[in-house]
Amino acid sequence: MSPLYSLSGIRQRYAGRLALDLPSLSIEEGSIVGVAGPNGSGKSTLMRMLAFLEMPQEGQIRFDGTSVDASSGGSRAAMLRKHVTLLTQEPYLLRRTVAENVGYGLAVRGQRNSADAVRQALADVGLPAQEFMHRQWFELSGGEAQRVALAARIILRPKVLLMDEPTSSLDEESAERIRMASMRMRDAHGTTLVIVSHDREWLDSVTDTMVMLRNGHLAG
Amino acid sequence: MDFILEGIYKAFLLLLGGHEETWSAVYATVAVSSISICATVLLGAPLGFLLGYCSFPGRRAVRLVVDTLLSFPTVVIGLIVYGFISRSGPLGELGLLFTLQGIAVGQVMLGLPVVVAMVANAVENADERLEATLLTLGADSTQLLRATLWEVRYHLMLATVAAYGRIVSEVGISMMVGGNIKWHTRTITTAIALETGKGEFAMGVALGLVLLIIAFGVNISVSGLKRRVAK
Amino acid sequence: MKKLITLLLFLVLALPAVAFAEKPVLMMSTTTSTDNTGLLDVLKPAFEAETGIELRWTAVGTGKALAMGQNCDVDVLLVHAPGAEKKFVADGYGVDRTQLMYNDFVIIGPAADPAKVKGMSVSDALKKIGQSGNIFCSRGDNSGTHKKELSLWKESGMAVPEKEAWYVQTGQGMLPTINVANEKNAYTMTDRGTFIKYEASHNGNPPIVILVEGDGALFNQYSAMAVNPKNCPNAKYDLAKKYIDWMASDATQKLIGDFKLMGKQLFTPNAGK
Repeated sequence: MSPLYSLSGIRQRYAGRLALDLPSLSIEEGSIVGVAGPNGSGKSTLMRMLAFLEMPQEGQIRFDGTSVDASSGGSRAAMLRKHVTLLTQEPYLLRRTVAENVGYGLAVRGQRNSADAVRQALADVGLPAQEFMHRQWFELSGGEAQRVALAARIILRPKVLLMDEPTSSLDEESAERIRMASMRMRDAHGTTLVIVSHDREWLDSVTDTMVMLRNGHLAG
Repeated sequence: MDFILEGIYKAFLLLLGGHEETWSAVYATVAVSSISICATVLLGAPLGFLLGYCSFPGRRAVRLVVDTLLSFPTVVIGLIVYGFISRSGPLGELGLLFTLQGIAVGQVMLGLPVVVAMVANAVENADERLEATLLTLGADSTQLLRATLWEVRYHLMLATVAAYGRIVSEVGISMMVGGNIKWHTRTITTAIALETGKGEFAMGVALGLVLLIIAFGVNISVSGLKRRVAK
Repeated sequence: MKKLITLLLFLVLALPAVAFAEKPVLMMSTTTSTDNTGLLDVLKPAFEAETGIELRWTAVGTGKALAMGQNCDVDVLLVHAPGAEKKFVADGYGVDRTQLMYNDFVIIGPAADPAKVKGMSVSDALKKIGQSGNIFCSRGDNSGTHKKELSLWKESGMAVPEKEAWYVQTGQGMLPTINVANEKNAYTMTDRGTFIKYEASHNGNPPIVILVEGDGALFNQYSAMAVNPKNCPNAKYDLAKKYIDWMASDATQKLIGDFKLMGKQLFTPNAGK
């Protein structure tokens, strides 16, 4: 079976500096991939590209039969983004209620009556719906906000869930909930997980493969 | 000096006494400023978004032009609009001269730079994670536009209030394009110009107060909205 | 929310259109001073009652009133600048010029009359004021009144005292100019209508009084002109003609003569004379 992601000849530059240089990288569907490396090694760039938030300047990414390169149009990227979702490092929510945040992805896909799905997603990250549904974005702790952000993504049942440092600077309970919820996505729905984290213990215990980056290159 | 005190007293007499001419001017002012502000926001918010969000060659120049237009004198706007909608002008057939709708065209030109500049600012300074978050949740371009404008709604609200202030208090456009025709295009501001030109200063002050009362009413009803939308 | 806005927009845009659908409308341009007399407000309902035509007017400066006629923005003009009117007709912009009425200008000054010009002819009075060094206030705003004043200086044989220290140009309307003249104990020229109002606001005892009046040179002739349909095919020439004929009719001429401002007659009808 061919890999879900096939990256070849990827080169990405910012202000003249080569941020990422990957001759080849593949990710199998349903696997859990860890990405590690020192700061500035290109991890976030890789994640943004896997999320199709950035198009490759050189090289090609094949995803589930479709390929994108420098010449690809915005609509192709938009189409692919419906299958892949990224959880950013610092918790970031839209300025609306928890329920509206969690339901946003479904709303843009045309599904407006999502109350049940929202409740389920909140339960999956350990936030009782009754208590949290109607809270405003500023009425949450850092850990709660990150959990809501994750709920907003798992509700979409994406093919791929990308997580860039999902648990750094969170309280232990929130971190645990996030770890558990993401695992459940793979187990229950076959979601592919790509995780950047400094928590080597966690990565070593759950990942199938590790991608090590150093100065934008694959290392050891 | 006593015309100011007399004016304050007269303002209440005019409003509560049901003075027909004053109420006709009130209607004209409310009607035209409402059309104008609605059109200004509906056009200006998306344009402001585009200016703040997209990068294109000459973007800084456009930004400079928009900021400069914030100082566009209203009489000159009135002159330009008149040039277009006068019978002998290119859009003369539309019959917009001496109408409230014609005034609205000019007032939209007045309010647009305010909304565009403030929205562009807000969008430019919005958190950089907003775009990534919306896109990664699956938003397409239109949805991105709408969600971003909603995120900066507080600034949009401020921009609307600022634009409304300019629109409701202007006289240059109303005079040139509307013609200050009694019962039809005589607004509070053109009525003030008329009365003060006749030397009726107390009346001018009175009408000025009437306008402030209208603006106060508008802002009160909006402040409830502001609090709901706050932060 | 969007529905509310759409409804509001529709209402505001539709409402005036509905209201207008009934009577034929005649659009007129006239001058601010004409409008300020209040005569037009008195004549409008009478005209409408008799002809069923709704008269609307915009009051601007004389120059602009004529420009609007040239631009086909209006159907008929009512102004008081015979020289400019004749040129307007000669240039092909106006037709059916009909003189209708006149009011007059007066020279006013301090009750003590330092230059001693009371009862003189206009030319003599202006010469005397110029020689005496007393201050003379001018509107200096290119209005019809201002142009009239300039022509009077020329008729008296003097150059317009542009740069003289005693010639003060206010650049403002008539009432503000009278106030300035009063402050400076000066002379000025005003239309009678504005002076009547000024007098009334001082309970009939103004500090500045009429010193020169009745001189033919001070007459202010009003005429109406229809916008030339050859120049403006969309102009409502037939309605304009009806208006002009109505204004010159005996009944209306009587109305004009009977019009009183603060109890005083302002206009002398002179159609056909």
